[in-house]
Amino acid sequence: MKRSVLLSVNGERREVFIKPNSTLLEVLRDELLLTGAKEACGSGECGACTVLVDGKPVNSCITLAMEAEGKAIETIEGLSKEGKLHPLQEAFIDHHAFQCGFCTPGMIMSAKAFLKRSPEPTKEEIRNAISGNICRCTGYENAVDAILDTAVGTEK
Amino acid sequence: MTNFRHIKKGPRRTDGALIVTGRADFTGDISLPGMLFGKILRSPYPHARIVEINTEKAKKLEGVKEVITGKDIGYRRFSFIDTPAFPADQTPLAVDKVRFVGEGVAAVAAISEDIAVTALHLIDVKYEELPPVFDPEEAMKDGAPAVHETIEPNTTTAWEDFGIPSTKSRPYKAVNNISNRNLIEYGDIGKGFEDADYLKEDRFEIPSTSHMAMEPHAAVASYQPTGKLDVWLSHMGFEHKRFWLAKLLDMPISRVRVHKTYVGGAFGGKISIFPYEFIAAYLSRLTLRPLKITLTREEVFCVCPPSRRMIVYLKTGVKKDGTITAQQVKVIDDVGAYRGSSPTALYLAHVFRNPIYNIPNLKHEGYGVYTNKLYTTAKRGHGLQQIVFAVESQLDMICDELGLDKVEMRLKNFRKKGDTLPNGDMLRSYGLPECLEEAAKKIGWREKYGKKKFRGLGIGTASMFSGAHNFPFSSAAMIRLNQDGRMILYTGQAEFGNGVDTVMAQIAAEVLDCPLDYVIVNSGDSEVSPHDLGNWLSGGVFVSGEAVRRAALDLKDQMLQHAAAGLDIPVEDLSIRDGWIIPGSDESKKLSFSDISRYGIQMAGGDPLIGKGFSKCVPEVYFWKGKFNKTASLSSGKGRFTEAYGLTLAIAEVEVNPNTGEVEIVEVVLADDCGTPINVKSVEGQIMSQAVMGIGDVFYEEVKIKNGIVMNPNLLEYRVPTANDIPKITSIIVDSYEPNGPFGAKEVGESPRAAAISAIANAICNAIGERIYTLPMTGDRIMEALHSKNT
Ligand code: FES
Ligand code: FES
Repeated sequence: MKRSVLLSVNGERREVFIKPNSTLLEVLRDELLLTGAKEACGSGECGACTVLVDGKPVNSCITLAMEAEGKAIETIEGLSKEGKLHPLQEAFIDHHAFQCGFCTPGMIMSAKAFLKRSPEPTKEEIRNAISGNICRCTGYENAVDAILDTAVGTEK
Repeated sequence: MTNFRHIKKGPRRTDGALIVTGRADFTGDISLPGMLFGKILRSPYPHARIVEINTEKAKKLEGVKEVITGKDIGYRRFSFIDTPAFPADQTPLAVDKVRFVGEGVAAVAAISEDIAVTALHLIDVKYEELPPVFDPEEAMKDGAPAVHETIEPNTTTAWEDFGIPSTKSRPYKAVNNISNRNLIEYGDIGKGFEDADYLKEDRFEIPSTSHMAMEPHAAVASYQPTGKLDVWLSHMGFEHKRFWLAKLLDMPISRVRVHKTYVGGAFGGKISIFPYEFIAAYLSRLTLRPLKITLTREEVFCVCPPSRRMIVYLKTGVKKDGTITAQQVKVIDDVGAYRGSSPTALYLAHVFRNPIYNIPNLKHEGYGVYTNKLYTTAKRGHGLQQIVFAVESQLDMICDELGLDKVEMRLKNFRKKGDTLPNGDMLRSYGLPECLEEAAKKIGWREKYGKKKFRGLGIGTASMFSGAHNFPFSSAAMIRLNQDGRMILYTGQAEFGNGVDTVMAQIAAEVLDCPLDYVIVNSGDSEVSPHDLGNWLSGGVFVSGEAVRRAALDLKDQMLQHAAAGLDIPVEDLSIRDGWIIPGSDESKKLSFSDISRYGIQMAGGDPLIGKGFSKCVPEVYFWKGKFNKTASLSSGKGRFTEAYGLTLAIAEVEVNPNTGEVEIVEVVLADDCGTPINVKSVEGQIMSQAVMGIGDVFYEEVKIKNGIVMNPNLLEYRVPTANDIPKITSIIVDSYEPNGPFGAKEVGESPRAAAISAIANAICNAIGERIYTLPMTGDRIMEALHSKNT
């Protein structure tokens, strides 16, 4: 049976009426029309659906929407503020860190959570941090550079 | 050297902000009011007759709008290749029998995906199992089960529709399951082998790998009561898609609109029409409602064609000094249930080797063979990496046995700039020898080769067309000046990660000497964009980019004419600089682009200023009303196909752990002759991308099929490289300047992968001192090879 759930998405309170087994990804994409998070595997193996829940990256395709109730959900749509791109977004463009861009929203969200935890990372640590985000196009190195650049540019 | 404003630079992607904000719309992101959802029921058997399908229960389920079977659609056949000799052999849903596990037999339209899935379970299909055949060499034997009965065409073939002079379509009987064949010969193979001091014969086997584009395949179709079809697809060029949608639905091509979508990776796998795309359109027409079909990742693995499985028998003759005298190639292409692009692949597996080595005597025969397995298709270098793997492996073995230096041996046999190939194609630009010299220097070949145990070095080569003259034959572009002095560029190119929108803007802005953001690109929309070749056979920059260049030149010319009239000075005294039209040296009288737009409208009868350009690859190949000039044939390999070849040379260095079979890649160097790189960053991205894809090909990727069933249809069991798997990769751009390309550019999107695969594979074999004749080179296979060496 469907029930109503109150979610906080990118700082906005959103009430949705969903089945208990609806995944967070389904709710974001189909109910809230936030299509930035992508489904590439649907089984937690690729990271394309990564969003942040209370600051932690989760694969939203295997997270129940109800589990996120009362927590702060952050998606790629919430990253740019006041009409300005987030430094990670700028760095991804500067470094040609995407080709088709299908993996990009998920990878940027993983990177955001990671930089919060490790503001001064090594390349190795960055590689590890995004190793759950599969990209078939780029070969990753430009994304690693983009993330490193953002870290260096972030005020300590 | 010309000083470019935008070319040979690495500007940011013009659409970058859309992508990083999640606002780029991929097909799966499209939803339309009143949209239904489609699902397809699939065969559990590799080979079976369909006795009966009962859809009554499914139809009665609440929320189900339509249920269709193959009988409803009938024998509407399609294929990548559809010629009188090789007529289309596939139907959107199986009609009388199924030929692979996963083939569609029925489809449902419902108000939600969940209901559609439930309805599939209510469809009752009675099958009568037939003996399957899985091994292509078994399938070729007398008495093997026949995958296809005689194919009786019931429409004209695509060739006839295109107006290619040819005979009428005729029935196709696959004798011994042979779906297609080719035979290409030049020189005297017998004499070539007689002249050789040394002969080497081997058999190689290359499995299917998945494109594994991150975006799972999807289609949204909206058939309107006016008789128009709108579709959003994951595609690589709209002409192919709308041709087949129109033909299968029996409606005018112009009434099919393929919209621009972002495409989440393609790699050659999204060229052809897919059954689910047609089914979405068909169900939308039946229900008069928009309808979406999204395949699951498992479906993509199990029903969308992966790369071609090939067995290559190779015999090469060389002189003592390493000069190649003759080569005989037999390729068996295990096409699976349907022929698809096999006639093209068998030809390409020959022609892509042509620009590499000068082989005076050659025989290349190819057989496409039907089996009861998932059919196969093009993947980034169609047929290229398969043949390259075989040839480069064997050349290394020959060098080992004759004690020849692997670099010198290759340099000796490379073709030369200015050479004309056996089919008439010319090498006006040819940087391959330089690529090898530079890559060898970078990796330190001469210092390192053979110096350290379990360290290995290997070389791989590759070449690729820069577009070809086959369907859709040519590209056009339009560029329109607006009142604000900005321009909208219309091109049919498809953005699937190749950065093509930015590259086309660079080309136009270079011609018009203006800032990049003066050009707004509108691409990939069949109703708005002019005719376009699409993004396959790597013709994007060379053919469509040239069309864009000419369109910009046309507009520039018109602008200067109006400026000359407006200023009352000769046109020769005008130039365009930095977005301004400057009369002679008098900067004070300069006009803006916006001024010119106003002049056109107010003073030149309302002239809107639209530039037009077009380009055709190998223009001397044409047909018109029964005339056919310089026939090019896939079957005999005769005739020209392209104007320029992109070339790649890769060298890899690896270290193998003899106790575990684990391989560490020390470095891969890829030197690529792509002519002038339009966008240096995009070119480097293409090279990097393919090196990494090649690492997957060498170490773990294989679509494993057992008894017709795909055994690893998910990302846990089908592993692709992650950020942790990336070794040091160095790219070197060798700008050979291709005189026929826009600003000297040619192909870069496909050849590096094949070169990388062979280089890494050869390096592994060099390190272990044993040959592995297949891919992937897993730890187990490496250990096995090491053991066989020690026993
Ligand atoms: S779609 Fe969620 S991990 Fe792949
Ligand atoms: S950019 Fe295409 S999957 Fe990462």
